[in-house]
Amino acid sequence: MSKGTIVSVSGPLVTAKGMQTANIQDICRVGKLGLIGEIIEMRDDVASIQVYEETSMVGPGEEVETTGEALSVELAPGMISQMFDGIQRPLDEFMRKTDSNFLERGMTIEPLNRSTKWEFTPSVVEGTEVAEGDIVGIVQETNVIEHRIMVPHGVKGTIKSIATGSFTINETIYVLETENGDKEFTMMQKWPVRRGRPIKRKLNPVEPLITGQRVIDTLFPVAKGGAAAVPGPFGAGKTVVQHQIAKWADVDLVVYVGCGERGNEMTDVINEFPELIDPNTGESIMARTVLIANTSNMPVAAREASIYTGITIAEYFRDMGYSVAVMADSTSRWAEALREMSGRLEEMPGDEGYPAYLGSRLAEYYERAGMVETLGSSGRKGSITAIGAVSPPGGDTSEPVTQNTLRVAKVFWGLDSSLAQRRHFPSINWLNSYSLYSNEMNEFVGKKLDVDWNTMVTRTKALLQDESELQEIVRLVGVESLSERDRLKLVVARMIREDFLQQNAFDDVDTYTSREKQYEMLHTILTFEDQAARAMELGAYFDEITKGTEAVVERIGRMKFIPEEELTKIKGIRDQSEKDIQTVLEKGGVESDA
Amino acid sequence: MPSKIGVVGDKESVLAFKMLGFSVFFASEAKETRRLIDSLADKDYGVIYLTEQLAELVPETITRYDAKMKPAIILIPNHAGSRGIGKKRVQQNVEKAVGQNIL
Repeated sequence: MSKGTIVSVSGPLVTAKGMQTANIQDICRVGKLGLIGEIIEMRDDVASIQVYEETSMVGPGEEVETTGEALSVELAPGMISQMFDGIQRPLDEFMRKTDSNFLERGMTIEPLNRSTKWEFTPSVVEGTEVAEGDIVGIVQETNVIEHRIMVPHGVKGTIKSIATGSFTINETIYVLETENGDKEFTMMQKWPVRRGRPIKRKLNPVEPLITGQRVIDTLFPVAKGGAAAVPGPFGAGKTVVQHQIAKWADVDLVVYVGCGERGNEMTDVINEFPELIDPNTGESIMARTVLIANTSNMPVAAREASIYTGITIAEYFRDMGYSVAVMADSTSRWAEALREMSGRLEEMPGDEGYPAYLGSRLAEYYERAGMVETLGSSGRKGSITAIGAVSPPGGDTSEPVTQNTLRVAKVFWGLDSSLAQRRHFPSINWLNSYSLYSNEMNEFVGKKLDVDWNTMVTRTKALLQDESELQEIVRLVGVESLSERDRLKLVVARMIREDFLQQNAFDDVDTYTSREKQYEMLHTILTFEDQAARAMELGAYFDEITKGTEAVVERIGRMKFIPEEELTKIKGIRDQSEKDIQTVLEKGGVESDA
Repeated sequence: MPSKIGVVGDKESVLAFKMLGFSVFFASEAKETRRLIDSLADKDYGVIYLTEQLAELVPETITRYDAKMKPAIILIPNHAGSRGIGKKRVQQNVEKAVGQNIL
């Protein structure tokens, strides 16, 4: 391999001369310590290398050696429930080997355990013709994930022999007879992280991702295979929203990338997830989670890689036919890492110092999400849903990272610090958030539940919109100036806000709400409005209605704490509200329309 | 904009208003009065004269129209004599309007 000499070191950026044979994106070992780096720029024989480890004590004159390989991840059984750093080094193994709580430099650690034996069951017989993407067998990796071993990309042939039994990931399990002779294959594949894994074709996303979060599922749904952005100022609850989706989303696998955020947030994940039970499978949530951690004190350059490592792992599971969700918290730290490297490379800065290619990099990442038909003859369908948190400084969403993200993400959950201060969580602002999947997803849910869901959602949104207009009048001239119908509207909108949209992530029942319960809850609130409005038409006064329905309104407020198994209780609330309003009418002297 | 004038009260007290061309409605208890006033307010009535006796039965209905421009509900005594609440309301309104009871 070609060897060069370091010319200069500037933080994570090292330039080396004498690198004629090296190519861009090659992985290098830098200096005496053998730090891992990637070539990001070549001019003549001078290479600029971004080093994924700390570069103190590295100086000019030291050697650089390229490996001739691009930054790749190993894809094989053993990834699930693991925590990796940005370049796929397992952190627990790292700690055992270095006996340190911090990243020691120049360590070489196998990404995946080479000694674990996996029980391999073939699903094809000898003599079968297979091509890239075909499944040759399965490994039951955890109780919920069946790891499907696929023929690597660019390979085609006839199976000459295939084994059954326990193997490590680098033992040969099958031999293919190809055009260029026999080839042996193990369970493991490698894939360069900066290239998307190939697919047969992209499909239109049709199915909503159920997150169990009412404001998301009802008002701003994201499709399986869609992309969503969660921008919000500090303390507005971005991380909690991401954690909630990682916990409750009805996907097969979650890849959680903790990118440049506090280490304690990843600790929370490690502490909480193993105890939580997935409502869809009944198993621990950790059995379907892969964690990538590049916390704020870890090297900046590896932050840039962590996002790609995460999505490549997600793509691998998508190719097996699973639906996968990738959470990135936060893409702003990733963009800042790009900015830091770009600044050191002395590139011309764009908006706010971010590199001019920020937009295209973000698009590249989000475009790897999608609903696809995978390679392979069986025509599997898989999806990646990408959900990225964005931390705009000062909560100002007009900054470049948010704007460029919104250009590619079709769902926008804008978190609002004023809502967060009022203790309204999740603090997703219902007035400026949007989902461009809304119509299709509502149709889908409506068909599933056999109700006119779309109309209900539209009406809810209209009510909230009206409320904000009415609130302005109230602020100017007081609530007495409103008509009685408008005052009822304010009451119902408050119910929607406080009793429906507000959701406590730390309450055992309230943390997850199924689609059916969401419908029951919303239906109850809207029915209350219908009944009250009818009573008003018949001559009942607003004050009389509020007084007469105090008890029922109170019950509506506590409806979110009704467990999933007792949904009939919600119907009981509707019956009571009808009865109470009838009583109001009788007292007010108008018995019925007759 | 022309508005109509209505009178609500017991027959003996309000029948005479018919001579003046007002619309006259009879009521003797709370429910009836309330329904009458609400329906007159919905139609085009600008002023409703109401007897004090009935007004005492439906205080919520009267306060409901206090803050509205139309209709103005004016309390009048009936044949059994004045209870004084009509006059008191006028004085209260004057006080609200000019800041002092000048009557």
